[in-house]
Amino acid sequence: MTSMNIQSVRETIADLLAERGQGTEFRDDESLFDSGRLDSIAAVNVLLALETEFGVDLSDPDFDVSRIDSLDEIKALLGATTS
Amino acid sequence: MTANFNIASSLQESFSAHPDNEALVAGAERYTYRTLRENVRRLAGAIRPCLTHGRVGIAASRSAEACIGILATAWAGGTYVPINLKSPEARLIELFERLELDALIVDWAGEKLLTPEVEKAAPGKIFRRGADRGAFRTLEAEIDAPHENDADGPAHVGPDHLAYIEFTSGTTGKPKGVMVPTGAVESYLDAMTAWYDFGPDDRAAETCDITFDLSVHNMLTTWKAGATLHVLRPLDMVVPARFIRAHGITTWLSVPSVVTMARKTGGLAPDSLPSLRISLFCGEPLPVETAEAWSRAAPNSIVDNIYGPTEATIACLRQPWTEGGLSTRERGIVAIGRPYPGMEARIVDAGGRTVADGERGEIALAGAQLARGYFGQPELTAERFPVIDDKRWYLTGDRGYRDADGVFHHLGRLDNQIKLHGHRIELEEIDMGLRDAAETDTAAAVAWPMANGTAEGVVGFYVPGERNGDRIRESLRKILPPHMVPGRIQSIDAMPLNANGKIDRNALTALLQQENSGSAAAS
Repeated sequence: MTSMNIQSVRETIADLLAERGQGTEFRDDESLFDSGRLDSIAAVNVLLALETEFGVDLSDPDFDVSRIDSLDEIKALLGATTS
Repeated sequence: MTANFNIASSLQESFSAHPDNEALVAGAERYTYRTLRENVRRLAGAIRPCLTHGRVGIAASRSAEACIGILATAWAGGTYVPINLKSPEARLIELFERLELDALIVDWAGEKLLTPEVEKAAPGKIFRRGADRGAFRTLEAEIDAPHENDADGPAHVGPDHLAYIEFTSGTTGKPKGVMVPTGAVESYLDAMTAWYDFGPDDRAAETCDITFDLSVHNMLTTWKAGATLHVLRPLDMVVPARFIRAHGITTWLSVPSVVTMARKTGGLAPDSLPSLRISLFCGEPLPVETAEAWSRAAPNSIVDNIYGPTEATIACLRQPWTEGGLSTRERGIVAIGRPYPGMEARIVDAGGRTVADGERGEIALAGAQLARGYFGQPELTAERFPVIDDKRWYLTGDRGYRDADGVFHHLGRLDNQIKLHGHRIELEEIDMGLRDAAETDTAAAVAWPMANGTAEGVVGFYVPGERNGDRIRESLRKILPPHMVPGRIQSIDAMPLNANGKIDRNALTALLQQENSGSAAAS
């Protein structure tokens, strides 16, 4: 994975936070969905970004959606699937 | 002793019958009926001394703490009031001032709302997550395990005791708190358990936030049966089919848009959900196409449509779909069927008179499931719950008709109340926010675009005032919760008016239609 791609995921998340009237700052280990900061519509957007940027196959039965709750988890997921 | 209508009785009874069955699974946390009851008793013991009128706020996401908080409030003899986590600070403060809560229960998502200003308006007693799983603490101390002499069962309450107050969007910009008594909940559960054989081997899914009353169905039908409730986290909502497969879910109730989501994320292949045996949909019109897709994916499941406003407790009309399904052809949606036992439905005209079968009018409801009314709003309660022919009715504001066979059909909102992604929204409330945000006298919102009679977005129109475009959205976000902020905010030179001098929303919708067909023709 390239740092540029992760940067675009970070921007997607920041945009989604802004659209929901929240500050765009978030820590890499901060819960984004379970904490209630982002909703399921936002989750679809994040998933679509992962599909576009990294070619993550959303219909793959091994893809566990509960593992994208924080940017750290997303990085770990991508590290695992792209290696 | 008369029967106990406490909604926590289900927990107590299932604990007696199946103490070691799993009752609740939320993320990595799992509770049996025994451990759930212990945690509920522990918190209830701390809540009980706080109760005066009994209202306890619960600000929580989809968590075990939310469930424990609800059950503990009921167990202690209180009334739970779910607090929307997405409320802006000013709305929260106003809500706390109106409700004068005896106590507030927060999970870690709810705790984030407690800014110094919010905490000042919040009740003095706040229960937060404790050190142990499922436990709570106050600012002073952890709450200890219950003593031997603590009450062994839930507080004894009658059918008129308020189980909960659910807030919905209000026309005056003031959210309406629907007060639902335990007797109404009991009547709902009696009807559902007579139709559906929920049992201790079932695995149900919690698909809703606690601010939506479908969550009451999911919690109580499950715990009454001694079954297991699996809570979907927000991310699970994106790929619900995956969740159903992973947990072998057998019973399901959600809004139909969850199915749309499942299809979008490629998770609704034929025969892909064999574990399901009961699937119910509620909360918005159920497109026939959606019901068919779900039936194909879940071949072992019945698929039924239930209908009803929060004011008539979760749902009070039912249309079985799998067996002899009837649709409302002009809308391409499943019919809403017939009233529950103990409930009556009528189609009335503007004067409250029943109209003939086939004629369109407003859907009115009466019977055991009616709410008591709106918290602190007696005039509004009298207006929406009028007495007609010596009986108390609720006027739903939904348009519909009854066909010659006595089956009811839903045609949409009579006024401008809409459903957007499962949220009930009054367009007038958005108007109001938009007027403030744009510093103008004239603003109006319309639902757009529409698909199968369901709103998929909102467009806000305003006549330019003092503030410019970018800053309007920014200020609107401070006034309205995110789901109410229009996807598109559009300035207009003059607002179209109807014969009564009121803003003509239909003309605004026509404008958008024109624009749409224009761009379609151009491309």
